[in-house]
Amino acid sequence: MVYARAFRVSTVQRFAELAAASNYSFLRGASHPAEMVWQAHALGLTGIGIADRNTVAGVVKAHIAWRDLGGEQSGLRLAVGARLVFADDTPDVIAYPATRHGWGRLTRLLTLGNRRAAKGNCTLFLTDLIDHAEDLLLIVMGRDKGTLESLSAARPGAVWLAATMQRDGADERHLIEAKRLSEETGVPLIAINDALYARPEARPLHDVLTCIREGVTIQGAGRRLLVNAERHLKSPAEMARLFRNCPQAIAATTDLLPRITFTLDDLRYEYPHEPVPEGWEPQAWLEQLVREGGGVLFPDGLPSAYQRVLDEEFALIRTCNYACYFLTVHDIVRYARSLNPPILCQGRGSAANSLVCYFLGITPIDPVREKLLFSRFLSEERNEPPDIDVDFEHERREEVMQYIYRRYGRERAGIAATVIHYRPRSTLREVGKALGLTEDVTSRLASTIWGNWGDDVPESRVAEAGFDIANPTIARLKTLVDRLLAFPRHLSQHVGGFVLTQGRLDEMVPIHNAAMPDRTFIEWDKDDIDALA
Amino acid sequence: MTNANSMRRRYLAIWLPFLSADRLRAQDPERRTAGSPPEAPLAFAVRVKGALRLAAVDAQARRLGIVPGLTLADARARQPDLVVADMDEDADRHWLDSLAQHCLVWTPLVAVVPPDGITLDIAGVEHLFGGEAALAEQIEECFSKMGAMIRFATAATPEAAQALARHSFFPPEDERQAIHALPVAALGLDDTAALALRRAGLKTIGDVAARPAAAIAARFGAQAVTALRRLMGEERAPIEPLTNPVPLHFERRFAEPVGHKESIAACFAELLREAAIALAERDLGGRGFVLTLFRSDGERHRLEIETGLPTRDPALVLRLFDERIAALADPLDPGFGYDSITLLVPLAEPLTANQLGFDGEGKAETELAELVNRLSVRMGADSLRRLVPRDNYIPEQAQLALPAIHHPAPVRWPAPPEGEPPLRPLFLFDPPQPVEVIAEVPDGPPHRFRWRRKLHEVRLYEGPERIAAEWWRRKGGEHPGQGGLTRDYYRVEDVRGRRYWIFRHGLYGEKPDPRWYMHGLFA
Repeated sequence: MVYARAFRVSTVQRFAELAAASNYSFLRGASHPAEMVWQAHALGLTGIGIADRNTVAGVVKAHIAWRDLGGEQSGLRLAVGARLVFADDTPDVIAYPATRHGWGRLTRLLTLGNRRAAKGNCTLFLTDLIDHAEDLLLIVMGRDKGTLESLSAARPGAVWLAATMQRDGADERHLIEAKRLSEETGVPLIAINDALYARPEARPLHDVLTCIREGVTIQGAGRRLLVNAERHLKSPAEMARLFRNCPQAIAATTDLLPRITFTLDDLRYEYPHEPVPEGWEPQAWLEQLVREGGGVLFPDGLPSAYQRVLDEEFALIRTCNYACYFLTVHDIVRYARSLNPPILCQGRGSAANSLVCYFLGITPIDPVREKLLFSRFLSEERNEPPDIDVDFEHERREEVMQYIYRRYGRERAGIAATVIHYRPRSTLREVGKALGLTEDVTSRLASTIWGNWGDDVPESRVAEAGFDIANPTIARLKTLVDRLLAFPRHLSQHVGGFVLTQGRLDEMVPIHNAAMPDRTFIEWDKDDIDALA
Repeated sequence: MTNANSMRRRYLAIWLPFLSADRLRAQDPERRTAGSPPEAPLAFAVRVKGALRLAAVDAQARRLGIVPGLTLADARARQPDLVVADMDEDADRHWLDSLAQHCLVWTPLVAVVPPDGITLDIAGVEHLFGGEAALAEQIEECFSKMGAMIRFATAATPEAAQALARHSFFPPEDERQAIHALPVAALGLDDTAALALRRAGLKTIGDVAARPAAAIAARFGAQAVTALRRLMGEERAPIEPLTNPVPLHFERRFAEPVGHKESIAACFAELLREAAIALAERDLGGRGFVLTLFRSDGERHRLEIETGLPTRDPALVLRLFDERIAALADPLDPGFGYDSITLLVPLAEPLTANQLGFDGEGKAETELAELVNRLSVRMGADSLRRLVPRDNYIPEQAQLALPAIHHPAPVRWPAPPEGEPPLRPLFLFDPPQPVEVIAEVPDGPPHRFRWRRKLHEVRLYEGPERIAAEWWRRKGGEHPGQGGLTRDYYRVEDVRGRRYWIFRHGLYGEKPDPRWYMHGLFA
């Protein structure tokens, strides 16, 4: 029997969770970035900070979800940053850029760590952070006096010490220790739940991720798993209750947030200047080149039909400010054809509808004669930059890529990433192994079912493969695999999608080493880039 | 009997395909059926590199497609009603040895082919039993009475006989043809070599025999050629027959029956010294000692002790026997006197001279080991246990109590943080005891509690320590709300200064009216 008295909360609490990992903390976070944002909004949090391990690969998706909720109007603030994990004994530090400049410092810091290490790894030291700490707001996740003092010295007033309630039986003890350290170093406390997933129901999936990461089965994992399911997003009321002996830590979260004036919308894409010679504006240069190209094709002067179409195209390009796209592509094509022997290349797809492309020599088809519509390629309503696909001779693609790197410099050219998601076969194998099943069984399941039917598995198919869906082990496998299928697994380079910038690329987005030598790629994929720029 | 010069060789091979299952059924019939239907398939599991795999199955399981090599989880996924026992290779080997001993009835030359075969050299003895076929029938019947299902075959070499027993299904008309038709697995090579043979397109022994020996040796090694030659009968290797190992057996016979305690004791001490010398010569130490006293009227008294660590110290063994005698319900009655006394050392382990040297640490360990020996002898091995840690969050599963005498090595426990009070109590209740508690919702510590009818006021507390249930152990545990109840543990100290370990079984979100329990006491 229990006699109980409820704990009443009299005021509306304001709290922001500033340590939330998404599934871009590979094999550690168990929720999509969007899920974290939605749950934060549903709980009435004042704000949420997405910080993944040594990466910002997930922040664009969080940003899109936030925009869809209404952005500024939603009542939720989104902070984007990274959780820096160090190769020396320094505890983890969460870094949020306060300004655009701070964002550049963070991405350069991550690039430094990435380039130093093999693909997929990031090697950082505390000194690196100190060198790149301008305009960064830092939360130190461990009670280490040395780190607190060094960072305080580098960034006075912009460092906080995380206080967490782990429910490990010694919470008050840890809090007292944290308060003492805070007084000694002058670093204020900030209340953190260090969320690894949005809701406590994600615990089984999170445990399976741990098993996959550690290479053990769920029965044999022992204390490698977390002891409880507390690492979910908690409501402001709950956090206030947990930290009732330290309300200043709660208030600190809403003190930190307004200091961040940077959002991803501030990342403006600037075209590289190279394709445009000194003294010319891009539009004017484009028109000049096109006229020259047209002059070669029609030495006796442009027929009026062509002139009309050209004027329309020019007008549209000028309005939408797309001249640089055409110029950049033209530059590459021109280079390719200037070699001896020339590299075969040809534009394809909807770009063939453009007379400008035809006159520039990018596409081989005369759209006016073939009566192709320009609006299929580019229109004002679409509000999308033109997608000019050019095929290069396969064996010599490398030469083209190296030209791009040389011309623009490694700092300003990078290949867009592709996010490799969990595929049905590999997910089945890994989850099956974690649950203690053998390759034998999981491969049979994979080859007959998931391999062919994508996400959802009709139960009849399971039965056909000789397995009983009512068998609890099989049902469990299915539940977990379905969930994991949508997760990102790792980043890889996109085939042929280059990003070129005017400013340093690594001040916009971190750069990674690719598996192939001399290749680097950026953390965001095509969708991310489209969403931002 | 066998003429060593005889050119004709004949071997009968026996294979027990379901050795483990047959043994278990023969030795422990109730266990097999307790709680499970008698037709339930049976399998034996062993841990291989962290996963539980099936090492052996019974006929029923095999028919259902459960084969050795599968992981336990797999097998259960296919056959939820599978009955699983632990693989016990020692017991299997002992049973095989005893079955082999039985075979001595038919021929003195019997060899054990571990893990599951027996080969008999029957050249020259078949006629004593009415011919090869009649002998085989007798053997099959005898084994079936002992509970073992066998397959057998005869051939001119022991290897061929074993191969035929394992791989061919019908008694062969033509032995030579049958050998040629055997699969390459009959060569008994390791997995890589077998795979290589199959890849090379060689499927039967006949295929391999058709190739030049030099090529086979070059590609698959000399052992492949040797195995082949033995199968084909081109090379002969005699079997290594069973010999009873000379046990460490020491005896004293008396001309006149001896009844005096001191005389018996003196004789026993002599036996021990003799044993110590014999053990020392072989660098062995005994872990089991059996003393048998034969009374002149035929009755026997048998005393047995075991030790945790091997020893050949007569004084130590003598002390242990004193304990054993002291613990007997009835004192030893020599009657009219003992005719003879024997000492047997059935279990010995390597013990070199340097292991016996003491340094400071070694001495303390040896003293502890000796104490364990004496107490175990006095009270029984199962009565004295030591705790061994397990990697588990659930408090009552975080340690195992194992017989101390079987775990003599020192144990490493995770160390508690310095300067902090212990996280776990010294004493755990099994099962936890219900208490009535007054505490704030949702996760306040007990303010007051009633335990064993006494009311306690709590003065100090730490907690909660939140330990969630192991969701994977429950059917459907991966779904919300079905993963089991979470425990919140509190370390509380009452006004008298005594410390208790109390938990609430279930969060308020998981269960409407969770109960509280006392799980342990701090020192």
